[in-house]
Amino acid sequence: MVKIEDLKRINLLRDIPVHLLEILAKEAQLNIYGVNTQLITIHESVDNFFMLIMGQVAVKKELTPKVDIIFDYIQSGSSFGTSALLEGSTASYTAVCQEPCEAITLSGKRIRELFKESHELAYYMLQGAARQYKNKMDIRAKMIMKTLDENPELKKDIHDIEDLTHVI
Amino acid sequence: MVEKEYFKKIAFLKDMPDRILEKIGAISQLETFDEESLLFRQNQEKALLYMLVSGKVFLNSRSGSGKFLTLDEVSPGRTFGVSALLGGHTSTFTAVCAETSTMITVSGEQMRQLFLEDFEIGHAVMLKVVELFKSRMEMHTNQFLHSLASHPEIKGA
Repeated sequence: MVKIEDLKRINLLRDIPVHLLEILAKEAQLNIYGVNTQLITIHESVDNFFMLIMGQVAVKKELTPKVDIIFDYIQSGSSFGTSALLEGSTASYTAVCQEPCEAITLSGKRIRELFKESHELAYYMLQGAARQYKNKMDIRAKMIMKTLDENPELKKDIHDIEDLTHVI
Repeated sequence: MVEKEYFKKIAFLKDMPDRILEKIGAISQLETFDEESLLFRQNQEKALLYMLVSGKVFLNSRSGSGKFLTLDEVSPGRTFGVSALLGGHTSTFTAVCAETSTMITVSGEQMRQLFLEDFEIGHAVMLKVVELFKSRMEMHTNQFLHSLASHPEIKGA
């Protein structure tokens, strides 16, 4: 059980009506994790959806056996582990606490059961997740555009910018 | 109003139950645009969702220094302007018909209103959007990492 006030600090939940926050508050747990705790492991099922209250989490992938690439830092107010909201989905990255972290967690199994009971809850949470993806895709597209602007010779090497145009 | 059969050709919605397609069809229009028609501009708030039935659409973006770049060529069966479903988002590109094109259009505001009136539809559509966005982000990240791993300095590490 967590306080509704804590849930209101999470960006993804900002449009969710209070009666739905009450449902989430009953199901959620507040957890504290030490530095270097691995919260999500790539290619494994994601058991929990995480909403970061305090601290910083690195999102990374292995580039070579000797090199890891950190491609995002999750800050307080942000969420991760969207795979937990989706049936049969596995993690596409590893998430590790960069410092001591405080996070609200929701069991993926339980939240998917709640989605079947309340389409309203499912709609609002998935809308929040979609907005989060859209923002990240826009940032990436702008970074690529800026790079191409400064280095037009790279254009021939970029074949995947269409993945970021939200065309489905 | 658009008959549900049209939606069966659209990858985004083709697997949705008929009940949902009929409700979306009731607030949709089938429109034909001439070559070079401007559908929406970069940095404008997106008002409509577009599902291309026939023709071709270019998605262009203008950089800070004013250069134009074609990001994507949309072919029949594909959907663009999806952020109209989320509300409050401006477009990162300009959409222009590359040839005479027929498409299903639906107001983002009316779709969001439909979601609020029937959360089952909102749930089904938003689940599809999240799954597709997640898959897009993963493909892009993997492509980026693949390119990076091919870099001589990384290969030699």
